[in-house]
Amino acid sequence: MIGRLFASLRGMLRRRQIDREIEEELHDHLEREIEAHRSRGASPEEARRLALSDLGGLTQTIEATRDVRATWLDTVWRDVRYGVRIMRRSPQFTVTALTLLVLAIGSTTAIYSIAYAVLVRPLPYPDAERLVFLAEKDGAGIIWPNFDDWRRRATSFEGGPASSLADAVIVRSGPIPRRFESRSVTSNFFRVLGVSAVQGRLFDEADARPDAAATAVISHTFWMREFGGSPAAVGQTISLTRTSFTVIGVLPPGFRYMTPADVYLLLEPQVAANYRGMQSRNTRTTLFGVARLKPGVTVTEARAEMQTIAAALAVEQSNNSKNIGVQLVPLTDRVVGDFAPTLTVLAGAVTLLLLIACVNLAVLLLNRSTARAHEFRIRAAIGGSRWSLIRQLLTEQALLIVTGGVLGALAGAAILTGLVSMAPREIPRLDEIRLDVGVLSWATLFSCACALVFGIVPALKASGISGSGQQLVVRSGRGSTRSASSLRRTLTIAEIAVATVLLSGSGLMVQTMVRLARIDPGFDPRNLQMASFSLTGPQWPDPRKQVFYDAVVERLRAVPGVENAAVAYSLPILGSYWWNVFSIPGKTAEHWISVGEFPNAGMLPVTAGYFETLRIPLVKGRYFNRSDTSDSMPVAILTSSLARKYWPGEDPIGKQLRQGFPSEPYGPWRTIVGVVGDIKQEGVDRETSPQIYMPIVQQPRTTVFAIARTRGPLPGSWLEAAVHDLDRTVPVFNDRTLDQVMREASSRRRIAMVVLSVFGGVAVLLAAVGLYGVIAQGVADRRQEIGVRMALGATRDQVLSLFLRHGLIVAVVGIGCGIVAAMLTARSLASLVFGITSRDPATLAAVAALLTVVTLLACYVPARSATRIDPSEALRSE
Amino acid sequence: MNKTQLLQGTLDLLILRILELGPNHGWGIANRMRQMSNDGLTTSHGSLYPALHRLEMRGEVKSEMTASENNRRARVYTITRTGRKRLNTETETWEAFALSMRRILRERP
Repeated sequence: MIGRLFASLRGMLRRRQIDREIEEELHDHLEREIEAHRSRGASPEEARRLALSDLGGLTQTIEATRDVRATWLDTVWRDVRYGVRIMRRSPQFTVTALTLLVLAIGSTTAIYSIAYAVLVRPLPYPDAERLVFLAEKDGAGIIWPNFDDWRRRATSFEGGPASSLADAVIVRSGPIPRRFESRSVTSNFFRVLGVSAVQGRLFDEADARPDAAATAVISHTFWMREFGGSPAAVGQTISLTRTSFTVIGVLPPGFRYMTPADVYLLLEPQVAANYRGMQSRNTRTTLFGVARLKPGVTVTEARAEMQTIAAALAVEQSNNSKNIGVQLVPLTDRVVGDFAPTLTVLAGAVTLLLLIACVNLAVLLLNRSTARAHEFRIRAAIGGSRWSLIRQLLTEQALLIVTGGVLGALAGAAILTGLVSMAPREIPRLDEIRLDVGVLSWATLFSCACALVFGIVPALKASGISGSGQQLVVRSGRGSTRSASSLRRTLTIAEIAVATVLLSGSGLMVQTMVRLARIDPGFDPRNLQMASFSLTGPQWPDPRKQVFYDAVVERLRAVPGVENAAVAYSLPILGSYWWNVFSIPGKTAEHWISVGEFPNAGMLPVTAGYFETLRIPLVKGRYFNRSDTSDSMPVAILTSSLARKYWPGEDPIGKQLRQGFPSEPYGPWRTIVGVVGDIKQEGVDRETSPQIYMPIVQQPRTTVFAIARTRGPLPGSWLEAAVHDLDRTVPVFNDRTLDQVMREASSRRRIAMVVLSVFGGVAVLLAAVGLYGVIAQGVADRRQEIGVRMALGATRDQVLSLFLRHGLIVAVVGIGCGIVAAMLTARSLASLVFGITSRDPATLAAVAALLTVVTLLACYVPARSATRIDPSEALRSE
Repeated sequence: MNKTQLLQGTLDLLILRILELGPNHGWGIANRMRQMSNDGLTTSHGSLYPALHRLEMRGEVKSEMTASENNRRARVYTITRTGRKRLNTETETWEAFALSMRRILRERP
């Protein structure tokens, strides 16, 4: 078999030579035969005629001899060459068809690859479908005492619920301490997930006992980088933030839970040390749970059990019953999280685009096969077999699809790179996204099927050889296209409908982005550079921190290009890092319970100069200044809506407040010295959240942000230089601009907007081209009829309106279907739109109007050509 | 003159027989066929060449382009061992067939 294939290949390569030799051989024969005839006395002409007739025609014999030599590969090759010739002879068709294929295959592959990687592919844990995610009511972080209760009471889970929180550690080896992402986990965490160590062992209950040694588990990458992958790493100690830990095990490569981390520490000792006040019921945490359902237990059953436990807890803790409850969802839902609606929209959009591209491809092939019907009829008439015609058509389509598939894959890879670079960093499993071969072949197959159905079947029908194969009566070209033109009309209606859906989606997203851009975030986000530094460890007592913040600000202000600088615990858009309840003099717990909610706000320690740097306007009172020190009167500044809410109609300046519940206060009473403008602390698209600012010297924090108002880009080491000038052991990280943060925060919407707009634009274009084709074909088909009408006195306007009406009907039906479809699919956009409903009637109306105009234009051009028909010529033409 | 159309499948046999006598080119084969049958057998030269190439594809003859007079080149065919083998078996078959045919046709009741 292989041998024969090689022989065929060799034969193919030697084709030209063989062909030439056959010609030579037959010419030689002819000459000899002519001589023979002449030697018998025939005239030269007679001799030649006799020789040729004996040979049965020179060309025919050459062909027949060649055919003997030809293998199946030669046949394919001939069909391919013919196909290429056909494609080159009609570049317009080829380019259009290829563009459609590339568009369809490329975008489908890219977007489905992302959707598959993020949405469909199961989590990388064994039996991941049994894993559930646990949080407090409304998805808030779990309060440790609650978790402790769940752990004691819940029976739905195998090995009990586990919990963990993302953190960071400073590794103190080498000259400069380095910061690594870490995760603090309960001792059963890894067992719940079902992972095991590649070196050493993972945590167990014994490690969590109060008297146990401090242990750590490290990631595979950390192991490779810090220990060169040596098995001796197990048992070594690493010196972290506060203390040293013994490495007991290494995780498998690629292990990841939520965010990637390098060092895993035990949570129980941290709770025992009341780290971050975790023993209190009043602190907000970033602790979240994960649990493995016992076999046979459903999510609903587990949820019901947890609700019962929470309700029991609520009775026991009558204090803040309003906030008790449990969120229990499959882990997959949580990991995919916010990105799911975006991907659903993208996948929907791309499906519609694939649909529209295939419809266009279909129309294109349909037109072409009708146009080529004549060619096929002739070929059938001179003896071309049905199979050879089908083979030729198949080769032509295959050529198109293969070229389109290759170009489509390249385009897909490019689109994928573009989309991934636009995507937010927090999108789960972004690094796992590859162009998916399965998706690529699926899209190619889909286009193949489409090409087959619409390219070959009508061609065979039109050639009149699909049925009995013998009806060679030359039928009127027009009669046979009747069914084709009604199919074309239906396809165009579908196109317009799809364009309507995509365009209304894009309209909603554009309006969303415009509305978001118009929102006043409460500060000036331009030219703000930010980075973090961390003052951790026993060598940083509060007094030293208090001096350090000001020293850093001082040094930053001296950096060329820096206008102003400040240090703060958190920054706008990034969110409130510290949320707490506060009390007001004279208001008891009973009062707030009757109101239904304890006063609460984001607590934000900042240096003097913070408001000036961010350009947050002062409403009343004063900003913080250098006179606010650790020894001076404790003060606070409020955002204006907070001031209005709790001191309505009063002047809040001089009033007092204190953190914590009335029964459980935290820190000193603070006097309000100023009111500043509201700020979008949690994000531009979120509700304005109340904030209480306090001087950071009065409330020192460990890890803080430095922020600088700049006149232009700063050197990469701007903060490092300033900080390390003061202390070389302070780790600096997370250098970004606030602009970047804001862009990332809106990236889901931006991707949806870009994709919907580009696809919408393409869809409108395709729909317009489709409609143009329908009308132009109609005009061509009805030339005679128009001739008759005009001869009988129809005016140009009447002819024009005849076709415009026809086009308008198609357009209106299409737009109508599209609007219904847009209404039905609106829900998928609901979580992405902002400041507008996803069924916004104005948008739908605008889209309908725009499409009507575009479609009318698309009809007008061919319709006008109908009015230029000369009746006498049209009537004579057939 | 009584010219007989070639029976289906006999052309291959005739070509192989002629080539058994020595290498020859296409026209030579056609000419030889005419002479040997005393002009009793005719074949369209048009079917001779496809037959020759088919035989070559099947490995029963091999060919070589050789220079001939007048600056032309001619393809000269030579019978191969496979070709001889086929010739022998088919000659036997053919003779047996011809004998049977003659017996039947000459038989008088």
